[in-house]
Amino acid sequence: MKKFFSNKRKARSFREFLYITPFLLLVLIFSYYPLYGWFYAFFDYKPPKPISKDLFVGLKWFKSMVDTDVKVKQLLTVLRNTFAMSGLSLLFSWFPMIFAVFLNEIKCTPFKKIVQTVTTLPNFISWVLVYSIAYNVLNSTGVVNSLLMSLGIVDEPQLFLQSSSHIWFKMWLWLTWKNAGWSAIMYIAAITGIDEELNEAARVDGASRMQIIRHITIPSIMPTYFVLVMLSLANFLSNGMEQYFVFQNAFNKDAIQVLDLYVYNLAMGSGGYSLSTAISILKSVVSVILLCLTNRFSKMVRGEGFI
Amino acid sequence: MKSKKLGSLLLAGALLVSALTGCGGDGSTEGTTGGTTGGTTDGTTTGGTGDGGSSTSGADKELMTIDIYDVAANYQGNQTGWFDKVVKDRFNLQLNIIAPQVAGDAIYQTRSADGNLGDIVILDSTDFADCLAAGLIKDISGEIGNYENLMDYKDQIDTFNNGLSGANGGTYGIPCQMTNTSPTTYSQDVIYSSPMLRWDLYKQIGEPDIKDLDDLLDVLEKIKEVHPTNEAGDPAYPLSLWPDWDGGDGMIGIANVVQLTTWYGEKIKGSVILKPDNTFTPLTDKNATYYKILKFLNDAQRRGIVDPDSGTQTWDNVCAKISAGQVDLLWYSWEVGFWNSLDRQKNGTAFIFIPVQDQTYYTDSDTYYGSGRVFGVGSKVDDEKYKRIMEFLDWYASPEGLVFQHAGIKDFNYTVGEDGKYTPINDNALMDNLPVPEEYGGAGYNDGNNAINQWIVDATSTNPLTGETYASTYWSSYKEATMTEMKKEWQERFGAEEPVDYMEKNNVLLVSPNVSVSLPSDDPDTAVIRNQVNESVCDYSWKMIFAKDDAEFDALWDEMTTTLDGLGFQDLVKFDTAKHQIEVDAKKAAQ
Repeated sequence: MKKFFSNKRKARSFREFLYITPFLLLVLIFSYYPLYGWFYAFFDYKPPKPISKDLFVGLKWFKSMVDTDVKVKQLLTVLRNTFAMSGLSLLFSWFPMIFAVFLNEIKCTPFKKIVQTVTTLPNFISWVLVYSIAYNVLNSTGVVNSLLMSLGIVDEPQLFLQSSSHIWFKMWLWLTWKNAGWSAIMYIAAITGIDEELNEAARVDGASRMQIIRHITIPSIMPTYFVLVMLSLANFLSNGMEQYFVFQNAFNKDAIQVLDLYVYNLAMGSGGYSLSTAISILKSVVSVILLCLTNRFSKMVRGEGFI
Repeated sequence: MKSKKLGSLLLAGALLVSALTGCGGDGSTEGTTGGTTGGTTDGTTTGGTGDGGSSTSGADKELMTIDIYDVAANYQGNQTGWFDKVVKDRFNLQLNIIAPQVAGDAIYQTRSADGNLGDIVILDSTDFADCLAAGLIKDISGEIGNYENLMDYKDQIDTFNNGLSGANGGTYGIPCQMTNTSPTTYSQDVIYSSPMLRWDLYKQIGEPDIKDLDDLLDVLEKIKEVHPTNEAGDPAYPLSLWPDWDGGDGMIGIANVVQLTTWYGEKIKGSVILKPDNTFTPLTDKNATYYKILKFLNDAQRRGIVDPDSGTQTWDNVCAKISAGQVDLLWYSWEVGFWNSLDRQKNGTAFIFIPVQDQTYYTDSDTYYGSGRVFGVGSKVDDEKYKRIMEFLDWYASPEGLVFQHAGIKDFNYTVGEDGKYTPINDNALMDNLPVPEEYGGAGYNDGNNAINQWIVDATSTNPLTGETYASTYWSSYKEATMTEMKKEWQERFGAEEPVDYMEKNNVLLVSPNVSVSLPSDDPDTAVIRNQVNESVCDYSWKMIFAKDDAEFDALWDEMTTTLDGLGFQDLVKFDTAKHQIEVDAKKAAQ
């Protein structure tokens, strides 16, 4: 070892570098290796015919995304939905934090544990199951309609799943029901990390519970909140597709089809792999730009970046 | 400290090993281990309790796993149960089904990129031609002549391969569901799609004549009045639709609507509609049937006879509703299987075809040249496997194999009389998953049913051993058993023996001859257009069915046509017209 390195320190740093190579390898395999699939966007690919040079079409698929008004309109609608849905989550991103703060204030430990478990559990239910719950509760003969009709509030069954009114908000509600408990865990951990002396000192000085929350707890977990918000900003365009995939139908698709779902609907129906790849590439590029922008913004506001 | 280090090292080692073995479980190791265990158990069982009649004993051969890439399968994994036993006793083959319907279409892309789709492949014929061009299919012309059961269908197999683009004189595919009747006849009693009502309800409202779709709506409305709920008190609706089949098989438009268009002699082929006079018109033609049926469903919805959950439920929901008696109009011939038990046929509450007088029913004739799907052998199989696959396929097309596939197990699904005639028994075997006899493994009948779900020879073919069809529903013994009071009343009312009789007598059956042609597959541009067009058509169609008035309906229709043109619909129409013209020309020649 010593022969290769001029001094002990360098040898040591090389050894320590080796410690992280497995993780670097994983990143390479799972994050960079798949990027090679991008080349499909530049070919006329349709299985089972293998890719060959004469199928090269350059930027055709990128151009075809916007070559008619209808397609442009479609793409804009999809982007609008993506921004609306992500914007809504961002707007309410404080919700899990406040939830964690209040949860932490519950003094009766068994009750606290029950609340935490009950709110965390939905995170482990798949979206397909969530939809089947939704269907059973909300269909024309489901619990909700039966209740409303027997109370005389409505005369005929309401088609909740088929209506597209307030659909973004409804989607946010489902998402929050599923995720709130899980996202709160990060904040609960952060709260546990707050120095107990601060709380005690405040209490000695006569601070009320609300004052402690306002002046100690929340400021202490603000950095965690910021990092999470910045990360979600970078992920602005990818709000996942499972939720929207299971809830989509002909009536709400105009409002619910987000970018990821659009890519899926394009590719999976009949193998529009090339076009889907082209859209994904654009998405990745925009995401990287968004990440850089928010990082710069963070530097401006907080004086430090997060990457 | 040292022991800790050692511990972590061991742990890491164990992880590495498990990871490697986890990935490395390839066919070869599975095959050999399976071979020793499978071989011995089989050897002991076949000797004493085999079902007899096995021409070649599988026990003396090593167990071999055959991967079957099968677009028809609804099940993925190894074949189990009684059919597995039957195949292993004869050939000692383990059938491993790879089902894109289960695994998702992406598996087609990954497996074909890998160069090996499967040892046996079952594909739609256009995909088959693509796979042939990509070198995934083996030429079987050298071997197939040695197999007499397959050679019974030589005419059909040769016709298919002669028309197969890229075959160049070789034999690559064996069409599915061939028959030994003729390409222009129609031998079944019912057609694939026709209006069917419950006989008791139809009688209750006075057996009115139904002139057209408006009359049908009146009838359905009356039926809803006399039958507002099922026995359990859940609401019943004349029509219950489901969206989750939309866009399957390269179809454009709502699956339910596409099916109903055949009531007026038209057949939707992708983006175009084939009219009775053998000309094509775009799907968006306001004078054609897609518009007409959408309008019919919209009227029905506005009259409150369409299940309000139609736009959001799945086929499974509808199937449960049919079984519970919550649906009053059916249109797929097989749908009645979820309601028409022998008991219900006897007490007159079963579904049966009720003619609408202005309708002409389209049906495809017997699938003499095949149904459009094809069996092939993968290009990567070695000589030994190839031979065993061919032996299996030959048996699969033999009378013995076909009786297993279409009728089931002797003395369990049917008995053989003195005169050699078959009589069905246990007709609820599939529905209730009855346990099969011990010598066939004892598990549920449905669980062990043939998972390939696709046949080389159709059930309507004649079994040379009995002179009757393979399908039990056409045996004389079955017909006798089902000659119920209800059937007699129906025969009297409509003056015909069976639905198809009625259609033929009244000259309202349009039989489209079966031909064997190889149609071009979509190029990548067309594939994208087709997908986007289909999504738009389906979305707008559902909205139209639920439109509140004519103005909204027509506004949606116009919006749809504009959107479609922006997505390249006209190009698609040109492509589809040219594509299906090939088929029409062949049909004209056959007539």
